[in-house]
Amino acid sequence: MIDPSLALATRGLRKSYGSRLALDGLDLSVPAGVVYGFLGPNGAGKTTTMRVLTGLVHADAGAVELLGRPFTRRDRRRLFDVGALVESPAFYPYLSARENLRALAASGAPTPAGRIDEVLEIVGLRERATDPVSRYSMGMKQRLGIGGALLNDPTLLLLDEPSNGLDPAGIVAIRETLRHLASIGKTVFVSSHLLAEVQQMADVVGIIASGRLVREGSMQDLLALEGVVRVRVEPAEVVTATARLARLTAPDRVTASRTEPGWISVQITPERTAEVNRVLAEAGIFASGLGSGNDLEELFLTLTEDTTADPDGKFAGIESTTGRLAPAEVLS
Amino acid sequence: MRLFVSALQKLAPRMATLFTFGLLAGMLVLIDIAVVATRGVVEGGPSRSVNALSLITFPGAYDQILSFILGLGGLFAVTYGAAIAGSEWTWGTLKTAVVRGESRSRYLAATFAAIGVVLAVGLLFAALVGVIAAAIGATVAGIGISGIGDRAALEALPAHFLRGWVAITETAAIGFAVATLARSQLAGIGVGIALYFGETFAGLFLPDVVKYLPFHLATAVVGGSTGFAPVPSSAVAAMSTDTALILVAVWLLGSLVVAAGFGERAEITG
Repeated sequence: MIDPSLALATRGLRKSYGSRLALDGLDLSVPAGVVYGFLGPNGAGKTTTMRVLTGLVHADAGAVELLGRPFTRRDRRRLFDVGALVESPAFYPYLSARENLRALAASGAPTPAGRIDEVLEIVGLRERATDPVSRYSMGMKQRLGIGGALLNDPTLLLLDEPSNGLDPAGIVAIRETLRHLASIGKTVFVSSHLLAEVQQMADVVGIIASGRLVREGSMQDLLALEGVVRVRVEPAEVVTATARLARLTAPDRVTASRTEPGWISVQITPERTAEVNRVLAEAGIFASGLGSGNDLEELFLTLTEDTTADPDGKFAGIESTTGRLAPAEVLS
Repeated sequence: MRLFVSALQKLAPRMATLFTFGLLAGMLVLIDIAVVATRGVVEGGPSRSVNALSLITFPGAYDQILSFILGLGGLFAVTYGAAIAGSEWTWGTLKTAVVRGESRSRYLAATFAAIGVVLAVGLLFAALVGVIAAAIGATVAGIGISGIGDRAALEALPAHFLRGWVAITETAAIGFAVATLARSQLAGIGVGIALYFGETFAGLFLPDVVKYLPFHLATAVVGGSTGFAPVPSSAVAAMSTDTALILVAVWLLGSLVVAAGFGERAEITG
């Protein structure tokens, strides 16, 4: 059943490269007209998702809906309404920016005359438009790559790490451009590992780990409901402490860190930090460290902590038994 | 059509294009300079010297120039085809077209069509430079250029050139397909050159089989007259030029079908 309010959706997307499982039943729901931050640690499956969404690779199973219609191997024209920058920007190094955009405009959707100059203006490369791309800095190439994605004035924009190589001014400019695009009804799907950047830019966030969605929802709701309190105890006391803290919330919301011995994360609003401390003290366990927050970084680390140490997802089965990678809880 | 025009615009200023045809023309000029400079002092006596001077003696020079271009051009073409196809993968430019919704096979076909046109223009350019260099050489050597307007020779040139162009285009298609399968510029060029010389070497042992392979067929299309090609004329003499032309067309189309089919199904992950 296709939801017309969604600009992009995936259902049970699976993809393997040989024996390595890159996507493991990924379900995404991207509302139209928002900036969607797509987050995940290295190797989580972000780029594979981008590749599937743009027809570069084909999923082994599952379905993709683009702009309210199914997108399969035969529907390449659906991408006429999509702009994408997947991985690093790619250009003919001996051609200028304008010539490269002209070459790009010759493929895919017809591009109106004058659009190339508009795009060069948007990404701030008009002054250097006649220089060969081989003389461009990494940040300039990145901006040109974003310009290429904007060339067909897309309804849906898919950007893979768009801030790569950009200086602070460039990051701000791109953020404002993407916010502006969302404000005029375009949908922007941004894959990134720059959490602070996504927190400032995105309306909706999806977090994946080991090829599965672990959380998805509006930024506001996630940060309001998904606060995290982190507490450090003696490693020998972790099991007892975890059990005690589970009574405070739920067993699947308390996790002992695999990478930082003694650290326990409790998904609970930061206002209850003192309560966490009290529960431990009542059990005769005294915290040597205590922190709380409801920023995206805390949430991201809590949800993906173990998979960052396991980018190949070899322990995916073990994690699923803890409940931490259970099917995503959609908050809004 | 816009894809094809765009592909032409991309190929024209490219270093691979300028280098390939510049080198071909430059070598012709150098050979003519060598012939002129060593006239009368060629080891082997007057007969060898006269033989060398045939390179700058019209109307026979026309055939010599074409033979050189079509012979060495095969090696250059396989390299050129591989360089162009491979760079689409190495630079990721095929990827950017695909994510815009472009048909992969249409994109590859347009790119190869542009290569075919560039090959025709490039070979014409090299031939023109060769004729001018030979004319200058003939004048300097005191041979004269009275045969340059020989009607029979000039009338035969277009057909000979056209056949040669088809043969060269076929070798470029081999390089194009190999680089597409390898998804790499360097690997494509390396394997393309290896195939070229490998086939030549195999021709010494398996002439009955190798005569159906692409580079031998390319030579056979022009009647085995490419004296500068590494393929001995005897290896291709048994086949008529028309049969060779048909087989060359089969190899050409087959290579493009393989490239397009692979490109259509390939997972673009780089």
